[in-house]
This record gives sequence, structure tokens and C-alpha cells, in this order.
Amino acid sequence: MLNAREINAAKIAVLTSVLTLTVTFLAGRIYWQHAAKEEPKPAAGFDTLVAQGRSFFAKSCAHCHGRDADGGEDAPSLRKLSISPGHMTLVIQSGIKDEMPSFAKKYSDTDVQKIVAYLQTLK
Amino acid sequence: MTVPWEQLHGAMTHFPIALLLFSAACDFGSVVLGKMAFASELRKVSIYGLAVSAVASIGAVVSGIALTKGNMWGHGELGWHHRFLWPAFGLLIALAIWRLLVRDQMSRAGLCVYLFLMFLTSGLIAAAGYFGGELLLGGG
Repeated sequence: MLNAREINAAKIAVLTSVLTLTVTFLAGRIYWQHAAKEEPKPAAGFDTLVAQGRSFFAKSCAHCHGRDADGGEDAPSLRKLSISPGHMTLVIQSGIKDEMPSFAKKYSDTDVQKIVAYLQTLK
Repeated sequence: MTVPWEQLHGAMTHFPIALLLFSAACDFGSVVLGKMAFASELRKVSIYGLAVSAVASIGAVVSGIALTKGNMWGHGELGWHHRFLWPAFGLLIALAIWRLLVRDQMSRAGLCVYLFLMFLTSGLIAAAGYFGGELLLGGG
């Protein structure tokens, strides 16, 4: 059996853990709502955005990921991606070490959003 | 200036994972060595390793929240990353607090429960690390 000291310590530990998780999730929720408000609104209509994104994709991504984004010899299919638009943006801007170059210098934030908008239509 | 959260999160997650696994290994070593003097040293190292791991995990979690813009659950690999991460984070904090309060005055039953939870947390954090790695380096 656990001794009294262990039981008291367990109560404090569980309480602290629950409190930490609660604060973490609350902070995350507040940040999520704040980030949603800050999300820049597209200047053009969605169709135009997607068309421009498709054009950028054809220029910079299609030679590895395939013309229809269904994968190439060295790069995976981008259809049915399960990652968030925010993460797509990160991957395009940061690249993947030894696998994919960064496009942060080539495309502005707005251009990357257009590519992401196009990729989202492939789901 | 844009903060490179992806790189920061990748860097910050390694410390708590490595320290937790190291702490669990030290605990296992101390049980194997039994009453040898070195076992007591291993237990001390384990306590501080676990405490530093818990503190470092807060930085990893904060950078992760910033990276996902507050998406605490998500779909696909991000969802799996979080399914393993949140229980591991909760257990890590609880185990560190418990261990710091109890220190060496553990009963046999306490030690058994503690070791079981340490190995469970290690497994959960390893799985969270795997899906996190797939997310950042696996190309989606």
C-alpha cells in the first residue's frame, strides 16, 4: 500500500497536472481565436486565388509533386493532405531538410496563401 | 520579424524527451542495482532529470501551441501527435511533482506504480515525438 506521504503527494501532483493542462488548453483556445481574427483576408475572390495558386504550383512544385499534385518519383502526392493550412504554409516557407527547398524568398506570404488555397481544393 | 516556431519547437522538444527517457533509465538502473551505493546516486540523478524534463516540457508545449496557432487537437498526424502528447505532458508534470515531494521515501508499492507510470509516459512521449517528427520532416 502507498504510505500517507505518497498519497498526499499524489493528490498535489494530480491537482497540479490538471491545473497545468487546463491553463494550457485555455491559453491555446485564446490564441486560436486571436489567430483566427488576425488571419489576413484574401483581396481577390477565392476562384482567382486558387487559379493564381495553381499557376505558382505549376511553376515551382509540379516538377517534383506531379502536374496534378498526385506525386512524383521523389515527392509525395499532395492530394488528401491531412495537415492544416497553417502547417502547409510552414512547410512551403521553411522547406524540409534534405528533401524540399524553402520557398520563403521566392514567394511572398500572400503568394504562399494562394498555393495553400489551391492545395486545399485537391482534398 | 517572424519567429521560426517550427525550428524552435523541433529544438525544444528534444530536451524533455531525452531527459524523461534518461530519468526512466536511471530509475530502472537503481532498481537493478538494489542496495549498492551507486543506486542511490542514480535515484538522485533521476529526480533532477525528471524535474528538468518537466520544466523544459513547458517550453516545448508553448512553442508547439505557437507553431499550430493554438490548434490543440487537429486531424491526421497532428491529431495523433496530440493524442499522445497531452496525456504524456499531464503525466510528466504529475510524476515530477510527486517525485519531488516524495523523494527517496517511497514504499515498494509506490515505487512499482511510479515505475509503471514512468514507462507509460516514456512510451507516450516517444509516440508523440514520432508523429511530431513525421509532421515536420515526413513531408505531410
